[in-house]
Amino acid sequence: MPLRYAYHPGNVSHSSAPEVNDTIFNLAKSLSIELIPLSGATSCGAGIIRQANKRLQLTLNARTFAMAESLGFDILTPCAATAGNLNEDLQILQEDSILLSEINSTLQNTCGMEFSGNLKVHHLLHVLVDEVGLEKVESAVKNPLNFTIAGYYGPNMQQKGMCGEDDIYDPSYLEQLIQAIGGTPISWTSRTQSVGVPGLFSEEPTVLKQSANVILDAKDEGAEIIVSACNLSHAILDVYQGKASRGEIHPINIPIIHLTEMLDFAFGHHNTRLAQLRTRIAVIGN
Amino acid sequence: MSDARSLLILYGSQSGNSEEVAIQAGKESANYNLKAIVRGMDEVTIDDIVGKTRIMICCSTWGDGEQPDNAEDLWETVNSTDIPSLKTINFSVLALGDSSYDLFCESGKEWDNWFASKGANRVHPRVDCDVDFEEPAKIWMDATLALMGAIEDTSSATETVEFSDAEESEHKNEEYITEEVNPDISGDSIEEFLDSGDRSLSILFGSQSGNSEELAARIAKNASKYGLNGSVYDMDGFDFTSLSKHKRVLIVCSTWGEGEMPDNAEDLWQSAISTSAPNLNGVNFSVLSLGDSSYDLFCQSGKDWDRRFEELGASRLVARVDCDVDYDSLAAQWSLDALASMAAVDSTGQFQEDKLDLIIQYASGTDAVGASGDDGFSVPSLVSDNIQVEVSIFRYDPETNSRGKDTWLCSLPGNMSVLETLRSIKGTHDGSLTFRDGHCNDPNTAISVNGRIVLPGSLCLDSISSLNSNNISLNLAPLPCFEVIRDLIVDTWSLERKRESSKPWMVAATRDGKNTPQGPLGIMTPSTASYLHSIKDFQSAPLLHASSDATPFSDSYVGPSIVASSWAKRNDPRISENKKKEIDTFLNSPIGIKAETDLSSIRRQESNYIAISEALLEARTSSLNHDSFNGRHGKHVWWYTWSIKSSGKVNETVLYRQVLGPLGLLSNLLSGVTARMILGFTRTGGNMINDGLGMVMPPAGIGKMPKQFNSSVHNHHEVVAIFNELDGRF
Repeated sequence: MPLRYAYHPGNVSHSSAPEVNDTIFNLAKSLSIELIPLSGATSCGAGIIRQANKRLQLTLNARTFAMAESLGFDILTPCAATAGNLNEDLQILQEDSILLSEINSTLQNTCGMEFSGNLKVHHLLHVLVDEVGLEKVESAVKNPLNFTIAGYYGPNMQQKGMCGEDDIYDPSYLEQLIQAIGGTPISWTSRTQSVGVPGLFSEEPTVLKQSANVILDAKDEGAEIIVSACNLSHAILDVYQGKASRGEIHPINIPIIHLTEMLDFAFGHHNTRLAQLRTRIAVIGN
Repeated sequence: MSDARSLLILYGSQSGNSEEVAIQAGKESANYNLKAIVRGMDEVTIDDIVGKTRIMICCSTWGDGEQPDNAEDLWETVNSTDIPSLKTINFSVLALGDSSYDLFCESGKEWDNWFASKGANRVHPRVDCDVDFEEPAKIWMDATLALMGAIEDTSSATETVEFSDAEESEHKNEEYITEEVNPDISGDSIEEFLDSGDRSLSILFGSQSGNSEELAARIAKNASKYGLNGSVYDMDGFDFTSLSKHKRVLIVCSTWGEGEMPDNAEDLWQSAISTSAPNLNGVNFSVLSLGDSSYDLFCQSGKDWDRRFEELGASRLVARVDCDVDYDSLAAQWSLDALASMAAVDSTGQFQEDKLDLIIQYASGTDAVGASGDDGFSVPSLVSDNIQVEVSIFRYDPETNSRGKDTWLCSLPGNMSVLETLRSIKGTHDGSLTFRDGHCNDPNTAISVNGRIVLPGSLCLDSISSLNSNNISLNLAPLPCFEVIRDLIVDTWSLERKRESSKPWMVAATRDGKNTPQGPLGIMTPSTASYLHSIKDFQSAPLLHASSDATPFSDSYVGPSIVASSWAKRNDPRISENKKKEIDTFLNSPIGIKAETDLSSIRRQESNYIAISEALLEARTSSLNHDSFNGRHGKHVWWYTWSIKSSGKVNETVLYRQVLGPLGLLSNLLSGVTARMILGFTRTGGNMINDGLGMVMPPAGIGKMPKQFNSSVHNHHEVVAIFNELDGRF
């Protein structure tokens, strides 16, 4: 029986990171995961809406939770920022019954919905390791990705109760997954460091330094490629790579792909893209 | 060994959960007047089970209904051997498993059926636990222990299962757990041992500044806890030839100048190295050496004494410990080890190693049972198994401006803290290792451990190993946002200067007070006090400062510790209006709360940091409202939120144009950001042209914001209704 989840695509898979949406459904099929799109789900807020109005973000996310709950499935997302933000709001609602009741009242008035609190939010990574199992992942591999790969988690989902059985501070799930698909994971300290996504527009100089530091750390440890478990961080590390390199002495160019792309390539989908990735790695080098 | 009131608790464990429950049950058994022996199933034979009166089994299931590794052999044995009746046994089983597997809790069920089939009496029905086992396991434990406690011993039970001496020695470590529960079982024999014969201990000090003398006096005072009669001798005037008559000798000696003996030790040292120095065969000794690692010949005097005693035939019971200027903790640890070992020397001068553990337990038990503080608290002595640890430590030498990492492979007890690990490495391997030492909650000791910003005295090794098996790697680094002085020591002066700039003093308003026994005082409600306290409950300002991933990359940002303190002060009902305005101005400035790029990096570090990050969020919301969402920060939040109302999805095209403006867009155009965005420049073969037409379209934001290129989410009108209900500004 396939694993079934309500699918939240994250914030920018429709715009800055379309490759996530291009690849996730193929890999889900390869691993017998059924993703039921939450077509009415809004942005998780990315930690930004709550800066304007905390209750507004809570209510928008409660609406998303109510939709998933009515389908009878937990939520799965490929974005670490979305997993973190949704889980933070979910914990708040589950721990405060009075607040939940008030927000349900708003939901009832505006959407005719109600959320009971009986739901979990998972990141794809934790579903793969905890539910699907690395053996199954390994058996689905058709193109072993024999690169030296730096797995980037970001800080959002590395919180208590949000990262499965993985260690919050010293995680290893991505490294296990990279090994399962034939890659060589590196050990690096910046893998849970923030690249400052919520401050991109307002504190750009700081954010660029944060991004450059993460990339440099990966390259220093010998990575040929960075695999990100976060759509937003993935987009910043990739799109802003050139701009971030301006203040740096050493070159910081390195291919950045998303977790879903890595698995999609390993499972034999989009072979042309994998070929292009191999070429880019060969050209850029370490 | 008497079996009266005994309870055998067996665990079959793969991941450690069953073991954890078994150990907990062992500890709690004392409350029911039971003497528990906790054993892994691979540590017992069938003979250890037969004839018992009370047995509790905690067993997990592995794979497809298989016994865990440590239970497999026993399970095979009991099924292939002709077992007599187990009618004397009263038992109950706790089965741990995972309901997502077909054969849920199968191993526990098998043990339950097996005991029942052999005629044993099931005192409590088996309890099957899913992955969230803690609560049902606790209920089972309490109920079963109560039932077991009510069972009287049968004659057959008291006649069986006595370990031979050899077995008893073999099981010494495991029984230690039980003995922690029942401290008095160390028995009269050890007290007799510590009371019998000559129990003298000679402590010689060589001291220049008085530190060694003070330590020697302290050690002598503690010696009585170990049944020793400590005598302190000044090395000056001590007759070295008399030393051969002493069975137990501790040396505490400092080093003076360039590796020289302190003045009061010089004559004795000359006697020691003379050819007429006596043979010290039969003398048991240990040396504590004090020094200063900034000198080339660090702790040289202590090293000399250590070597010379060995040359003269004395037996070194505890390895020499070399202490730097912060010697307290290392000296205290050496003192505990040395006194215990000296206490294990019998009246004939023989070191009785087998008594060592009991003596340590006896000595610590006198503290634990009798309360370590005036309030009557007793502090349990928790000991864990050794684990293999690979310790990598960042090193920086300012003199040569060289930096790198040193790595040690160690076998260390799991209950040891990271700070104790550092002390141990410094004391035994590398005296030049530099870190801030202090008590376990000392805020100045903060470092980074595997990327986690912590106080190393409060982080035990087994709390790290629990998730990463028995071989763990420790990556120790200085706090990331400060200048490194040497190794793990950072200069926190920059933070102090920032704190100074925040004008952190309170200016109170004239207000009504309440008459109290202490005079009229301003008051606040308990909920306000709790709220303010939670904001400032961050143990250590450097710790919270370093938890932000933005602080290492922004020189001007004052950091979360100063923002949190200021925000707490700003919300203190006693504050004056002028001071409140001053704080608002400070927080709204570019170096205030707006400079924080990602609150999640703070929120994730410690459990109490959630409340702090929530307070920082409130400070940010207040700041945005104060500025009416102007400036880049305000515009970012405003337009992001509005784009969600507009379509349910973030619209980056609008964000780029509205927040960055023409100059920002030009900057992105020239730096390649726009190219990468529009062309999918670095994408791996996806669409070469993404939806970037908005970049060249006329600016949005005139009147109602257009939807640009987003398609709306399903039932978008619900999103608009929520906005209209909760926040009409957007």
